[in-house]
Amino acid sequence: MTETIPHYPQPVTDADNRPFLDGWRRGQLYLQHCRGCGKAVFYPRSLCPHCWSTDLEWRQASGRGTVVSYSRIYRPNHPAFNDEVPIVLAEIRLAEGAALLARILRGDVESGMEVMLMASAEAAERFPLPVFQPA
Amino acid sequence: MDASSLGRRLPAESIGIVGYGQSVYSKKTDRTLLSLFAEAAKGALHSAGLDKSSIDGLAVCSFDLPPDNAVTLAEQFGLSVSWAYFGTAGGAGPVASVINAIRAIEHGHASAVLCLAGDAYDIGGHYRMMDNFNRALRNYGTPNGFGGANGLFAIVQRKHMETYGTRPEELGRISVGQRASARLNDNALLRGPLTIEDYLDARVIADPIRLYDCVLPCAGAEAVLVAPLDRAEPGRGVRVLAGYEQHNHPPDEIAPLRGGWELFRDALYRDAGYGPSDIDFVQAYDDYPIMVAIQLEDLGFCAKGEVGKFLAENTFSFDGSFPLNTNGGQLSCGQAGAGGGMIGLVEAIRQLRGEAGPWQVEGARRGLVSGYGMVGYGHGLSTSSVILEGAK
Ligand SMILES: [Zn+2]
Repeated sequence: MTETIPHYPQPVTDADNRPFLDGWRRGQLYLQHCRGCGKAVFYPRSLCPHCWSTDLEWRQASGRGTVVSYSRIYRPNHPAFNDEVPIVLAEIRLAEGAALLARILRGDVESGMEVMLMASAEAAERFPLPVFQPA
Repeated sequence: MDASSLGRRLPAESIGIVGYGQSVYSKKTDRTLLSLFAEAAKGALHSAGLDKSSIDGLAVCSFDLPPDNAVTLAEQFGLSVSWAYFGTAGGAGPVASVINAIRAIEHGHASAVLCLAGDAYDIGGHYRMMDNFNRALRNYGTPNGFGGANGLFAIVQRKHMETYGTRPEELGRISVGQRASARLNDNALLRGPLTIEDYLDARVIADPIRLYDCVLPCAGAEAVLVAPLDRAEPGRGVRVLAGYEQHNHPPDEIAPLRGGWELFRDALYRDAGYGPSDIDFVQAYDDYPIMVAIQLEDLGFCAKGEVGKFLAENTFSFDGSFPLNTNGGQLSCGQAGAGGGMIGLVEAIRQLRGEAGPWQVEGARRGLVSGYGMVGYGHGLSTSSVILEGAK
């Protein structure tokens, strides 16, 4: 029996975030890198928030990062998540330097631990945004 | 304002707050937002001893108001105004609206500005709003089941606890102290007794945030009237000695342990002519105790990272060693949407006029009011503060 995928709220694709969302549909994490100042940028934007260069290049990220802090959510904002509590939502500092908020699935979580992208087809098919697991 | 007084400049120190009003708060209501605004507005006029014809400027902060805005609200209220302002800074907006209303009067663009803040929603409405609060949250937060503001501020609180050793039993003293004040306030939605044991034993909402760290979304509205102080009855005007706002500080940090207050703090106290130890009470934006704690640090009531000790050493009811959110604040009264950014301002005016009744802070002459809000990708982006003093 196949488990049905909950009706998660979905991000809205636009010209700025398409490579990021398309990349995740293949199980990959894509980040913008600024050719002006060299910094990695998240979330996707049409200009670098650091130096305002519009010369941003999409590159596949390593998928590796460190948990800065996290919450364990028992009351999700949207009912689609009700059967999955607690949801672990973490601030993750990626190896490339940018930080993002993402779910950590599987295993215990603590601040400072290393995590990696769950780069599986199942994860990419199920979850609207990149998810992580302990490295 | 009659046309002849347009452009007539006034010294900023001659302008202040001359009236305040508050609607009834409710967990759920059939009343419209406009009805709540009307109740608060009429209260403000009544407390100022002025009538409708005196209002020639209108400021409003509200999440639910769109597709209406400050101008269509003027139509609803039958007001012709020479200055209109629609706040965009969430819970920091109402304090910012007063700062901007003073500037408008100072420069002759209006002579009496009605500042309103409020919303008519409940818990379900609050979550739906947070799911679509802005593009970044909608695209990169909501699809993660981020738990609304609770899930985000839990990340901030854990970081503060792990970085500085701040403990839940210290943060809980804020909720407990404010509840002691709220028990005397008939318009507080949560008035039952609350002990530190109740706080620590409460249901976990988003670990480490527990039930009594959270506000109850509700329906309500707040209002103040900003005008030259000579229009107030003697002893009933309140001076605004200093006021600043800051947005998106620090930039590019998802869960910072500081906010814009640290940037304008020195200017705020310089303009007021005194410092934190001279303040008789604080109305800090209390969406979560952790954010009150961060405001107390950033505004200089204790050093960064030392708020745990400060909390342990003080009590926070209206008659405590550090009177804080003296009508119970949002944590006990409820969070009426953007009205949560004005509840402290209205309470400060009440205190400085000596009209707080059972929860009057003895000898209250100077107060600090602080706003915070507009959650972006991870935390509230906007901060604002004013220092107020009763006018003689
Ligand atoms: Zn750059």
